[in-house]
Amino acid sequence: MGGPKPLSGMQKQVLSLYRGFLRAARSKSPEDRRQIESIVSAEFRRHSKLVDRKNFLYIEYLLRRGHKQLDQLKSPDTLKLSSLSLRNLKRP
Amino acid sequence: MAAVSATSVGFQRSLNQSSRTNEAAEKYSRLRLVSRGWAKTKFPSLRTSHFHVYCAAKPETVQKVCQIVEIVMGLEEEFGISVEEESSQNITTVQEAADLIEKLVQKKPE
Repeated sequence: MGGPKPLSGMQKQVLSLYRGFLRAARSKSPEDRRQIESIVSAEFRRHSKLVDRKNFLYIEYLLRRGHKQLDQLKSPDTLKLSSLSLRNLKRP
Repeated sequence: MAAVSATSVGFQRSLNQSSRTNEAAEKYSRLRLVSRGWAKTKFPSLRTSHFHVYCAAKPETVQKVCQIVEIVMGLEEEFGISVEEESSQNITTVQEAADLIEKLVQKKPE
């Protein structure tokens, strides 16, 4: 078969977190959901480029942080997600 | 004089290590950025902690696994099923995905 290389435990954890976010996004309104999905996927992809793949300590920290954010997002009181870029703030 | 020879031995060692690391990095991942931080004025720093190979995850892999997750999530929604994480790892072809969906749809209590 020669299928894909099996993922490591940590890679699985990251993907499972990603899945959790996409699942949590389903419970929000269609417009917010789209926004959540775009922010979440951009963040995961951004960190995948930014973070050294051997920097397990930092990845673990990001995982913990992500799970906390996911818990907040899961709450029905949370309606949407927003992000702001500091680079854009500099310009008036 | 003794100091100089000690220096060269140390340097040799760190070079060896660097080539070994490079080899490993090339084997398993694309090498993204190699920073060799030795101080400008001094002889190359011998502390191995100054040598750092930075490599991010392979972009193809990231793209691929993220897309798989997204596709599986889409299928789940479409068919009203829940695919376990373990089984979604094993999907390699459309046929396998179809078989899995069929199995899960039948299992679903109506």
